[in-house]
Amino acid sequence: MTDAVPLLAARAVSKSFFGNPVLRDVSISLLPGRVHALLGENGAGKSTLINLLSGALPPDSGSIEVDGRPVSRLTPIEAAQAGIAVVQQELSLTASLSIAENIGLGAFPRRFGMIDYRALTARAKAACELVGLNEALSTPVGQLPLGRRQMVEIAKALYRKPRILILDEPSSSLSATETKILTDLLERLRGEGVAILYISHRLNEVMALCQHVTVLKDGICTADRPLAGTDAAGLVRLMVGRDPGDLFPRWKPSGSTQTAVSVRNFSAGLMRDIDLEIRTGEVLGIGGLIGQGQDDLLLGLYGAIPAKASAAMVNGVAHLPASVVKANAFGLAYVPADRKREGLHLIHSIAANLMLPALARLPALKLRSGANEDLTTKGLAAQFAIKGDLGRQAQALSGGNQQKVALAKWMPRDPLVLLLNDPTRGVDVETKREIYILLRQLAAAGKAVVLLSSDTPELVHVCDRVAVVREGRIVAMLERAALSEEAIVAAAVGADRQRQAA
Amino acid sequence: MSISPSTLAGRGIPLYWAVQAHRSAGLNGLFLVVLLFVAAYGVLFPGLFTVSGFATFTQSWFPLALVAMAQALLMLTGGISLAVGATVSLGAVIAATTMPGPFGVAGGVIAVAVAGLGIGAAIGLIVVKLRLPAIVVTLAGSFIIGGAALLILPRPGGAVPDWFSNLLAGDTPVAFAILVLIVLAWKVYLATPLGLSLYAAGENPIGSYRSGVPVDAARIAAYGISGLLSTGAGLFVAAQTGSGDPVIGTAFTLNSIAAAVLGGIGFLGGQGTMRGALAGSLLLSLMISVMFFLGFTPVVQYVAQGLIIIGAVALPQLRRLRQ
Repeated sequence: MTDAVPLLAARAVSKSFFGNPVLRDVSISLLPGRVHALLGENGAGKSTLINLLSGALPPDSGSIEVDGRPVSRLTPIEAAQAGIAVVQQELSLTASLSIAENIGLGAFPRRFGMIDYRALTARAKAACELVGLNEALSTPVGQLPLGRRQMVEIAKALYRKPRILILDEPSSSLSATETKILTDLLERLRGEGVAILYISHRLNEVMALCQHVTVLKDGICTADRPLAGTDAAGLVRLMVGRDPGDLFPRWKPSGSTQTAVSVRNFSAGLMRDIDLEIRTGEVLGIGGLIGQGQDDLLLGLYGAIPAKASAAMVNGVAHLPASVVKANAFGLAYVPADRKREGLHLIHSIAANLMLPALARLPALKLRSGANEDLTTKGLAAQFAIKGDLGRQAQALSGGNQQKVALAKWMPRDPLVLLLNDPTRGVDVETKREIYILLRQLAAAGKAVVLLSSDTPELVHVCDRVAVVREGRIVAMLERAALSEEAIVAAAVGADRQRQAA
Repeated sequence: MSISPSTLAGRGIPLYWAVQAHRSAGLNGLFLVVLLFVAAYGVLFPGLFTVSGFATFTQSWFPLALVAMAQALLMLTGGISLAVGATVSLGAVIAATTMPGPFGVAGGVIAVAVAGLGIGAAIGLIVVKLRLPAIVVTLAGSFIIGGAALLILPRPGGAVPDWFSNLLAGDTPVAFAILVLIVLAWKVYLATPLGLSLYAAGENPIGSYRSGVPVDAARIAAYGISGLLSTGAGLFVAAQTGSGDPVIGTAFTLNSIAAAVLGGIGFLGGQGTMRGALAGSLLLSLMISVMFFLGFTPVVQYVAQGLIIIGAVALPQLRRLRQ
């Protein structure tokens, strides 16, 4: 099998976005009749590699080879002609069109220039049978639950009769039965000589299905080898094994802790029936793979989305805040992940941004005091080391400084609980360190800090406890002594259970 | 309205008809209301069920039906046009100034069609290729197109030959027959890959592009067809009045949006059906006629019309909120 010519290969490809290297010298070969796993943490460069392989993006250097021949500039259309089909994470379906029309979209069989519905019926039906879709072909896709839509997306790829099939986390929204159908199908396609690239966070699936694995970590390929003889724990090590360096301040415990927020059987959005206690004087981390419900946990506590709990105590009040205004009154503050759209008013001045939450507390028709505001904003800028003229637009600041403004603006209201959604995403290393120090200081000053993060090392080094979320539940509450990247990732991907079972 | 392209694409294709049935699913309530209004209209105006009465009624509906289609087409792609009214006016003045000329009625019809397609495609190119908001481009376009209509014919004038006026707006339901043909042509268009791409391009442009759908082409074609329908409505209005009026189309801009919204077309793209938009335009047309017969003053008519539109849009929303 080693002699076979790869149907699709990347040779030493690199890609940067705005000067940030995302992939460095990565090579991968997809052989016929092999299911190849691509593993890596969030942000390791998996999606970028898929985009390069499917022609959606050109590499900065290195080459893409189809059937052993380098292709100078692969486009999505050429990729489709070469038999490359991608099942993307975000669906490419149109809710108002039927299953059959969605499957054929962009590649309809034609007769006299019109869609040949008879041929479409036959071909779409064949594709649906492969994935076990037995809904009527005329059903609008908008009426299907998410898992079924994912199957339509897979059927859409199969309809194009691919030689190379790339699946980006296809099983994340599938039920157990659907996942079984998918794995059986991939086995069959493999037998027919299709080259398959399979991205998944479910390690047991990968172990059962794939023959070969490539692991990416921070844009570098850390492993490219047969799966036989590797265990789940070994894969986890390959995914996270990095040197934390001097990025993090030394952790030391805060003084006393007290319960600030406690909820029982709390549900909001994707989160289902969780119990959680948030304490003052510590940083509570929320970890897990992206999109498992962590955002809903914060938004639900903050009153921004409907939430319910069988018992709740929020800063001495015996129920959950029903709105954001109530949450603020209870002493909660939230810093959103998307600071450009939700956290800041970019075209307004830094000073105006810093003043907004404070102004919300003034009587609506009271005249504002320029001198007082000046004092407040200057004080905040000094405390958070926000440099330069506060009259500039907020968008003039770097990502890190924007984040500091988004956090600092809450301080005049003296919140007891800070809910932070991925505050260091896209922030430079220096500012990251400043933010970590700040979070520890806030905890030491008796605040409760909740740090939702997609960055595992920062959870390990900054937090006192970490709740790991998977599929809308807290699957592990790791105390300081038990904190490690391996433990968090293992809980996030469900490898801990498997290891215990083995 | 039920003649289908099955005769063209082969008979009895189950999937095609099943898909059509699903598209009508949410519209039964609307169809029922339209039927009730037709019955009310029939009681108030018994002449409806004679040939000439039917002809008169469909003639009053025809231009609104055309502009509702023109607007719905764009809203399905996620766009909108504020230039519909001005384009109707332009179509009317082109018809009234060219038809008395050397090329006669045929020349006039061709001029109107070319102007509509050309203007629509030009707006489409600007919106799609420069990625500009449709609402701004078509607002600016409405000033330019309205200005052009006033330049061609500064005050009402020109002429449409009597025989042509009598053919379109006389005692025979020719206008209705033309509407049936237009609907048939629309069904054929929607059965082509480019036509069906409208929905995909409107609702999920990025996913559609990745699937190989010609997103830009589908949207530009929609603007072209929309312009053609608008100037066509203008031609008909000129034939109805026998002359051209450079501001006659103004009310059609907002009425086209009202009809499309009544017909269940969403503002976000890809939501709704053309049969819904047509039913919406018929409902609006009936409402105006019925209120006229009941002796409502124009002011009361406008207020009632507005309330009914808000009610029609709010009903499904309220139902959704309760769930």
